[in-house]
Amino acid sequence: MEQFLYYLKVSLKSIRRAPLPYSLTILILSLGLGVFFANATFYYRLNLDPLPHKSDKLFFPFMNLVPYECQNCEPPKVLSYSNVQKLSATDIPSAKAAMYSADGYLRLTPQQPPMPVKIRLTQPDFFRMFEVPFLHGAVWPDGNARAEVILSRQTAEKLFGETNVVGRRLTLDDFEYTVSAVLADWTMLPRLFDANNNNHLSEVEDIYLPLETGYDRNYLSNTQSSSFQDADYRKLATDGRTKAIHQLQFWVQLDTPEQQQAYRQFMANLTADEKKAGRHPSTVNNKLVGMRDIVVYFNKDGGDIKAFALVTLLFLMVCLFNASHLSLNRYLSNQYEISLRRALGASRWQIQQQALADVLLMASITSVAALLIGYSGISLMNELLPANRLFSSWDWTLLLSLLALTLGCSYLVTLYPSLRASFGALNQQLKE
Amino acid sequence: MISLHLIFKSMLRRKVVTSLLLVQLALTLALLSNSSLLALQTWDQLRQPTNLDLDNIMYVSLKPTSKNLQEYPAFADLLERQLAAVRQMPGVAAVSFTNQSPLMEGGSNGNVNDENNREHNTQNVPQYTVSPDFLQVLQLDVLEGEIPQTIQAWDGEATVPVVLTKSLAERVFPGKSAIGQLTNGGPVAAVIEDFYGQRSAERVMYNRIQIAQIYGVAWGYGIILRVEPGKADQIRSQLPDVLKTVDPNIEIFSVRTMDEQLHRMFRNEFGLATLLAVLSGLMLLVSMISSYSNAHFNALKRQQEIGIKRALGANKQGILLEMLTENWCATIAGAGLGLLGAVALNQALALVISIPALPVWLPLAAVLMLMLCVTLATWYPARIATQVSPATATKTL
Repeated sequence: MEQFLYYLKVSLKSIRRAPLPYSLTILILSLGLGVFFANATFYYRLNLDPLPHKSDKLFFPFMNLVPYECQNCEPPKVLSYSNVQKLSATDIPSAKAAMYSADGYLRLTPQQPPMPVKIRLTQPDFFRMFEVPFLHGAVWPDGNARAEVILSRQTAEKLFGETNVVGRRLTLDDFEYTVSAVLADWTMLPRLFDANNNNHLSEVEDIYLPLETGYDRNYLSNTQSSSFQDADYRKLATDGRTKAIHQLQFWVQLDTPEQQQAYRQFMANLTADEKKAGRHPSTVNNKLVGMRDIVVYFNKDGGDIKAFALVTLLFLMVCLFNASHLSLNRYLSNQYEISLRRALGASRWQIQQQALADVLLMASITSVAALLIGYSGISLMNELLPANRLFSSWDWTLLLSLLALTLGCSYLVTLYPSLRASFGALNQQLKE
Repeated sequence: MISLHLIFKSMLRRKVVTSLLLVQLALTLALLSNSSLLALQTWDQLRQPTNLDLDNIMYVSLKPTSKNLQEYPAFADLLERQLAAVRQMPGVAAVSFTNQSPLMEGGSNGNVNDENNREHNTQNVPQYTVSPDFLQVLQLDVLEGEIPQTIQAWDGEATVPVVLTKSLAERVFPGKSAIGQLTNGGPVAAVIEDFYGQRSAERVMYNRIQIAQIYGVAWGYGIILRVEPGKADQIRSQLPDVLKTVDPNIEIFSVRTMDEQLHRMFRNEFGLATLLAVLSGLMLLVSMISSYSNAHFNALKRQQEIGIKRALGANKQGILLEMLTENWCATIAGAGLGLLGAVALNQALALVISIPALPVWLPLAAVLMLMLCVTLATWYPARIATQVSPATATKTL
């Protein structure tokens, strides 16, 4: 320890002797790492798997089951009510849930000012499939229409001032509902069950309503709603259930490869039957897209962040080259001193230990500076690319990885110069 | 006379330092070229013609908060009262309701085709349902036909005439007049000047308009108005109160000028271009520091050599020029590598974002910029090198 403190003291002395090259090295390394940290934060968060133990078992089936002829077309990104009915008519999946989102206004009493809320209209398996935790109450017993809502914890607190509100009444868009459950704190980022139109970047909804009630009460999707035949989308209770009004997402849980194969076969049989009945004029193009691939499938994979990731990586490399260059100059300037120490009996290992003390000191200062620059970078990116705002927080895994990277980079920057200083021809170095 | 041969020899003597310098100069040039390209692309997008008075057209996005008010006839009555109230505001020149704003990424859209010949079927055409004053708000001329003057209801029986923008009419009915022709949405009543509708459309100037009731307000609706020049700020601040006075059961999402709408549409590109510009600035700074440190260290190491040169008759300008030339040579060599890097980075970026190919002049301009920065950074250490006294040479003998 004493020896290490001595090395640190020597390092500090060396810095004091030539502070400018040292400060420039720190500045450049911190800039490179800080900018990299800022982007790495978004990249890491956006590519995080919110259900790592289960996401390979969750699938979104797509079919070209539309009432028009289209050769080699991609299937619609949202499904119609009748398509979901057909895709649900099997026991192969362990769980299945159709869903969509809509906007609404919530009040405790009709006289109160309205509170704008995001609603997810779905079926009971949604909560099981995506492991949504309950604080009070339970999910609806079946998929039938019912005037019952499930509230997020924040919504319950905001509306009632408490969370244990099961059985209480509220007004949603002029209709009365009973609270059947309140969720515990729950978030899912990225929200992969709804990746269409970049919705996976949004927060989870405030309130949950049975899908059938949503159709009865004419809630239209706030994400994407397409009509492929002459239909009135304001009449979801009738036209919405029978005609080609597409607005639903549909997820199935297929736990084993056998289940997945069986469901693919089920989809193939279904389209064959529909074709035979004349209800599938387009080319068959069935797809069973896994949750891990859904963002790429919807073609919204954060191109801006990827592009910026590429250039920040290049920037980090430039800074590493530059810092190495500065560090080499610094070591070469100190070469005489190092050579003198070697001449007085210091071994190469001792010279390397001195270099390691330099690395530790540099890594400590650089970490603090890089984190400050990284934080400023994140604030700037939140301002300029606000869609990714929810993905800007640090956790311990990220922080420790970033600190390890700083240490690695500091070592890399010092490695070649210190080796060169330790292994050069002693006579020549002392003469220079 | 500067000997390039000696300069290259000196650079080769410091292989590692020179290589590091070259690599970073090359990467800097690659990034500088591509970020400038993205910035220029965004600038072009923001400057492209919209045929709209960006500063004096405003759009209010809103929605009734009560289910009753969202349905006809209560909604029609609400609209009438809102339009009347806005029309009476001093400084408002024209006002209309609309289901959506121009200058949007996407929105309500659909196919438009000639019912008798579907060969020119056009997809993703923005579809507006508006009141007759919409054209007055946008100040668009009617090129053919007449704009219907009554707001039609969607009763499922009668077809509602459509108004097409010029480029869409030419696309769907090539080589003939569109007036009276039947589209899948109804007969064509008029053809108007082009204006920028939705960015995701096949062509941004394709638009279809119907003078009709707003079909549904699940996604909200809009009030669009043209204001007298210089009144936009005043009217913007008054609009929420005026609309809330008409009926408090509404939520106002935003009040924006078309200029703000345009910037919002290109917000991502603008954000990325700004980030890349910041990064380019940092890269130039890093290159300057690197050139400074290279020249500074070089001058220190070569004090004796410079002293001898001075003793042998080299003047200060010659020494200065020699130091600068060495850095210029390094910059040119780095830039040569950087040109290849710029093309490679351009291709890599094209895989994840929309970016055009690099024009030849842009990397060349970036080289000049880099040269300027390197010269500035090298100037001070080179000046110091010129101060080396010829007497220094004698110390080495």
